[in-house]
Amino acid sequence: MSEKNHFSGDHIASHFEAVKANLPGADIDWLQSSRDEGMTNFLETGIPGPRVEEWKYTNLGLLKSDVFKNTEASGDIAADVVAAALLGGLNGPKVVFVDGYLSETHTNIVEQEGVELLSLTEFAKSNADQTQKLLLHAQNSGSLSNLNLAMMTGGYVLRVSEDVKLAEPIQIVHIASTSVASKSLRTLNYIDVEEGGRAQIIESFISTGGGSNWRQNNTYVTLARSAALEVYQYQTENSETIHMAETLVEVAEDADFKHFSLNIGGKMSRTEIKPTLIGENGNVELRGAFLGRDGVSHDVFTHMKHMVPECESDQIYRGVLDKGGKSAFQGRVYVAKDAQLTNAEQSNKNLILDRSAEANSKPELLIYADDVKCAHGATVGELDQDALFYLNSRGLDNKAAKALLVEAFVSEVFDEIDIEAVKDKYLTLAHSWLEQGE
Amino acid sequence: MLDIKNLHVEVEGKKILRGLNLTVNAGEVHAIMGPNGAGKSTLAYAICGKEGYEITEGSVTFKGKDFLELEANERAGEGAFLGFQYPVEIPGVTNMNFLKTAINSIRKYRGEDEMAAVDFLKLIRAKAAELDMDPEMLKRAVNVGFSGGEKKRNEMVQMAMIDPIFSVLDETDSGLDIDALRIVADGINRMRGDDKAILVITHYQRLLDYVVPDYVHVLSDGKIVKSGDKELAQRLEKEGYAGLGIDENAA
Repeated sequence: MSEKNHFSGDHIASHFEAVKANLPGADIDWLQSSRDEGMTNFLETGIPGPRVEEWKYTNLGLLKSDVFKNTEASGDIAADVVAAALLGGLNGPKVVFVDGYLSETHTNIVEQEGVELLSLTEFAKSNADQTQKLLLHAQNSGSLSNLNLAMMTGGYVLRVSEDVKLAEPIQIVHIASTSVASKSLRTLNYIDVEEGGRAQIIESFISTGGGSNWRQNNTYVTLARSAALEVYQYQTENSETIHMAETLVEVAEDADFKHFSLNIGGKMSRTEIKPTLIGENGNVELRGAFLGRDGVSHDVFTHMKHMVPECESDQIYRGVLDKGGKSAFQGRVYVAKDAQLTNAEQSNKNLILDRSAEANSKPELLIYADDVKCAHGATVGELDQDALFYLNSRGLDNKAAKALLVEAFVSEVFDEIDIEAVKDKYLTLAHSWLEQGE
Repeated sequence: MLDIKNLHVEVEGKKILRGLNLTVNAGEVHAIMGPNGAGKSTLAYAICGKEGYEITEGSVTFKGKDFLELEANERAGEGAFLGFQYPVEIPGVTNMNFLKTAINSIRKYRGEDEMAAVDFLKLIRAKAAELDMDPEMLKRAVNVGFSGGEKKRNEMVQMAMIDPIFSVLDETDSGLDIDALRIVADGINRMRGDDKAILVITHYQRLLDYVVPDYVHVLSDGKIVKSGDKELAQRLEKEGYAGLGIDENAA
């Protein structure tokens, strides 16, 4: 194992041994074994280094010595802090994690027949087989997914029964509250939507305190035939946070998966979305925007796997990079030999507001079927000077003109969202990010 | 109202205008004609303040103010409007939002309150109807997917909404069929007034049949080489620039 390929994770192993007896679900033997296995798998490979193709744009060097310790389940945080983190006007269930732990006080489960929403450890107690199967996903994924499995302090499980439609979107809020330095916040979640079921999830990641954090939030999703799931994520973590969010999805026949994301905060963010289309006529839409300046880097990695014929996937990502901002979009589309009549599209456009900013875009198409439609486009450019002058000539000063153009560029990604509270939140966050610029 | 004296303009180091003089008084309509490359669009951009149009000599005074000291948006605030030869497409910004932002930016510059939403809606509906624009177009992104004629009509709606004191129309007639030309001419004529002025820049005399100018100037090689009344435009149409001793390919 050369350091150029991977950084050793040994420094984390000793911390794992020290805390493992106190991790949630420590009384479940098989869960502890899964955690042990996760740690072993993680240590075998270590932390991906810059020579690993999938990580070439995001240097994880700053993880190689810092341990990022799990915190104790912190007492609690004020209700108004939680209220501020939630979107108004939505009456659905609210699940609140504080520093990686599920907060019983602030979580509010609205009962609905055919909908099960509970903590991962609670679920594990009564569903050993299913949980073990689920954790295999993490074990079979990369080394960091194994690390998350070993160290996670909580997570949620959502199960939607056949033909049940969730009455309201579920809000999941992850709050980093204390200002302790070098803490890890790790959650692992499971969403299972049965045939014809439908759900919407709004998931946010915020920091109310300072201190450096390493956040991991990994979600494993199975969508049965004709099921539909929409996930809306956004993160405004503090400027010392390393934010990693991974979503693995299995999409069955006629099922529909939509994922929206907005990355603004953190020192470094990595959003991984890996849908696998395993039934005909499945549909996946991925939409996202990332906004960075002042040393912030955002990395979006998608891996769309078309395993069967006649599925559709569509990805649209927009980046805005201001002074000192950096981004990478890596979009891999795999079309298996049998996946004829696949329709896969991918687009990544980036706007550079300052010459010191950097945007990388890397479409990667692996197509083994011969009768498919696959399109991809990637651009990196500056604001259109003609458009700026057009707005100036109509009375808008430079700042207002730039703001209008950048907001328009970003908002196109979120146009089709029909939950107004979510759309407003995305646009407001983008707007205030622009306001903070020079 | 507008006083241009000995104006020299360079674009990327290339001399385009070489000592242009022009005075436009309130109530007047002036037409600038000239062969391709004479500097017609450069004049429009220089008056309205486009970046990259470097003024190396001369002055532009608008209502007693040194216009060259002002940014493009400030010139709009003072009452200048530029109708573009090639209106720009702005994806993601609706016509409605664009106009509201424009009008309120100009009001802010003038120290006025924002226009009430109700008044704005009333005004825009009225102006769209006057210029025969489908109200659905107002909800669409600015100029995106518009035909050439629709784009020019959109310029006229913007002009009507902004209600400028001084309008510069840069080849607004180019590429229009006769129906679209009539609508554009009608839009321009609505901007006439005793306290207003219009500068029409055109390659052809055609538009001037509908927008009758008080003065016609011929621009060639960066200078005004001939001035007259509307008869001059008709002579140009008949005899061509060569008939006036102007080399069509001077630039």
